[in-house]
Amino acid sequence: MKIAIVFIILLLVLLPVMIVSMPGDGSLKGRLQTFVSYGLSLTSLLLCLLTIVVSIYSLTNDIKQRQIYTVITKPVRRFQLLSGKLLGVILLDVALLLLFSAIIYNITIYTPKFFNAGKAELTSLNNEFFTARAGLTPAEVDVTQEVLDIYNKLEETGQLLPGSSRKELIELLTSRKQLEKRAAAPGHELVWEFNNVKPIDPNQSLFIRFKYDVSINPPDLQVFSRWIVGDDRQVKYGTKIETPIYTFDRKDLIRTFHEIEVPADAVAPDGYLAVGFFNVPLNNTVVIFPPGDKLAVLYKADSFTANFLRAVLLILLRLIFLACLGILAATFLSFPVAILFCLVIFFTGTISGFCLESFDFMSENISGVYSYTLRPLIKLLPQFDKFNPTKFLVPARLLSWPLLAKAAGLMLCIKALLLLLLALLIFSFKEIAKVIV
Amino acid sequence: MAKNSTTNHNDQKQRTSNEIRDMEYAVETFSLTKIFSDWWGRDKVYAVDDLNLQVQHNEVFGLLGPNGSGKTTTLKLLLGLLHPTKGKALCLGGDGADPKISARIGFMPEESYLYKYLNARETLDFYGRLFSLPPKVRKMRIEALLDMVGLKAVANRPVGTFSKGMARRIGLAQALINDPDLLILDEPTTGLDPIGTRQIKDLIIQLAKRGKTVLLCSHLLADVEDVCDRIAILYGGKIQSEGKVKDLLLQTNKREITTGYISDTVVEKIKQIVQSEQADCVVTSPMDKLETFFIKTVAAAQQRGLPTSGVVSDATTQISSFLTSQTTKESILDKLVSAPTSQEAPTEPPKTKQVAPVDTSEPTPDEQLLSKLTEQAKSATSKPVVREQEAKTKPVETKADQQEQIKKSILDRLTGRSTPKNRRREKTGKSQGDSSDA
Repeated sequence: MKIAIVFIILLLVLLPVMIVSMPGDGSLKGRLQTFVSYGLSLTSLLLCLLTIVVSIYSLTNDIKQRQIYTVITKPVRRFQLLSGKLLGVILLDVALLLLFSAIIYNITIYTPKFFNAGKAELTSLNNEFFTARAGLTPAEVDVTQEVLDIYNKLEETGQLLPGSSRKELIELLTSRKQLEKRAAAPGHELVWEFNNVKPIDPNQSLFIRFKYDVSINPPDLQVFSRWIVGDDRQVKYGTKIETPIYTFDRKDLIRTFHEIEVPADAVAPDGYLAVGFFNVPLNNTVVIFPPGDKLAVLYKADSFTANFLRAVLLILLRLIFLACLGILAATFLSFPVAILFCLVIFFTGTISGFCLESFDFMSENISGVYSYTLRPLIKLLPQFDKFNPTKFLVPARLLSWPLLAKAAGLMLCIKALLLLLLALLIFSFKEIAKVIV
Repeated sequence: MAKNSTTNHNDQKQRTSNEIRDMEYAVETFSLTKIFSDWWGRDKVYAVDDLNLQVQHNEVFGLLGPNGSGKTTTLKLLLGLLHPTKGKALCLGGDGADPKISARIGFMPEESYLYKYLNARETLDFYGRLFSLPPKVRKMRIEALLDMVGLKAVANRPVGTFSKGMARRIGLAQALINDPDLLILDEPTTGLDPIGTRQIKDLIIQLAKRGKTVLLCSHLLADVEDVCDRIAILYGGKIQSEGKVKDLLLQTNKREITTGYISDTVVEKIKQIVQSEQADCVVTSPMDKLETFFIKTVAAAQQRGLPTSGVVSDATTQISSFLTSQTTKESILDKLVSAPTSQEAPTEPPKTKQVAPVDTSEPTPDEQLLSKLTEQAKSATSKPVVREQEAKTKPVETKADQQEQIKKSILDRLTGRSTPKNRRREKTGKSQGDSSDA
């Protein structure tokens, strides 16, 4: 298979070139983020293509060149033949993935030593790149009861908007109420409570990541604030102060992400942490925390190495799925058609989220038909974008084992297994010999 | 663990041999029909049409027919490579695609479809593993088979670089790796040189003597005629004629007398006697088959040590020394057959033992000829030991002597001291020209 050799050489050349030629945003962190992102994506893409080609070629070529005649007439069951092909492709994938991920990992780890980074830069690199941070976002406040109360009150007093249904009004009221819960008027405060904050090392930092929105733009687009982070129950109930409570006075640009570094010992032993935001009256504007980019507490939950390993496993899952798909396609299609079929599925899989969203949006009017026909089909596609490893590695977010297990369950145990069973069914009834008269 | 598997194997063998006794036929089809339909499902072609075929155990059965008459399709139906539209095909009493059955079948397709990056030994090892043969047996069989098909010298070369004939030899070897009870050969001799053809034919005869069943399809009539016990001629997917070769071909209204050299006066006398019976009489000298002549010529050339391009010629020498010499061949086949026997003595079918002595005492004419040939061929093998022996046993004159003989025989033929009596020769020439089949 010359194509495999071409891919391997391409990767071996491209990976080292990438780290040198792509500076990212100029900082060392940016360079590494770009390298890991592009390196892993490229490896994943090329290996995906290779998997598709090899898995299809190995079966269709056997049938076309008729080597299968002498194999299948031996005491070999057809499922054995298929699983043999599959196993071969997976072994190749594992070997190549090991090779390339090892190269990417080592380049990433050793690059800081070559780029004479300053101490501050190294610290930020360790905190924001060479780590695996878990993120906790506050749960949406339940406003159903409040909304109902308001609605009933309005109804009693006859102040309901005319010409709107009850459902529309409830929706409107809910969104208003939720906005209220996310907004702080000058002189007011917001408190978020987090449970299960479990940083692996209390001597390290945790980060509060946030983004402001405002009702009226301040003159310099900056907002003054006071943040209070710690176990507020100590204050509330007047118990002995055991964990420190930290206060930060800040001035931040609106509509961009900021991170506050907080020593991890602020977290109570039971994993409780409260984060308070005080809108300083000086601001003279309502500060809103946008719903899409929620405030989050980030803390180091695992090492970069472990996270990287799981990211590689995520790619492997994808490859195994594609190998099954390729084998299925090869059982009933000829080589070029099978390739086309798999590529279509592969590329739709990489944008499956977008597909789902756009179809959801377009078919609002025919939701009944849509949700029973097209939607399950799109759902059956692999969701490569949802389980994209670079999505986790670049912002150093934790790719947890449960998430990996979920991906494995969805992609392998359900979808790939279905494909394999289908392939087996088709192959066991297939006439191996060509029709020649 | 190993012991366990051995006993299992033993049981299986015992059981299967019982089954064989129970079943009447090694291959049987019941109104087997294969219709190839077009894309819309409309019937297009009846490739095999209501075929009822019975091949008895220990029989060499030949399926004949012109191109596209359904021979290969029948074999593919038997092996489960195609599904019958109607009817049923049984191999050794079961479905040919069933692993239990296919473990006892050897199949050689019409061309050797090999994995071109594997070398000859790896190829055989791969097929041996598919039968889950124990490593020891596998290794032993591979070496014996490589020896037998004469590819030992090139065993480490990728089979993708092999010539068609060499690939065919590997194809034959892989069909024999499991010591099959039923051997299915699709056009076994296409692509082989006359010596290879001769060897395959001898091998088939030998295997039949060892109690194997061989089903072959071919349109090379000479081959079929030489080896088959029974034949069926297919046309349009139907059997047009079936029976024992001897019965089908025997001309009961004619007689042929072969004598040693007799003088013309005796010939005249015989003619008179025959004419007194009111019958026609033609007296000629019998002709060699072209095949025999070819083998003689090649052997002579090899003896003179003429250079040839590589492996095939080397292989030929080895094979001929192998297949033609009764004893050597016996030992190889014995090795192959007795591979499991070393562990399980009683399972060897008694047939073989009965046949073997008869075999050596009454060699067929072909074998006699070929054993003569071996003596010549042996001297050309690369083994120095053999060459030494030859040198001791034979004076130097033999070379020249034989050459003279051959020259003389060529001259005899060229000067036309023969009449076009030899039917076989015509056939061979004709059918070898037409060697492609569906």
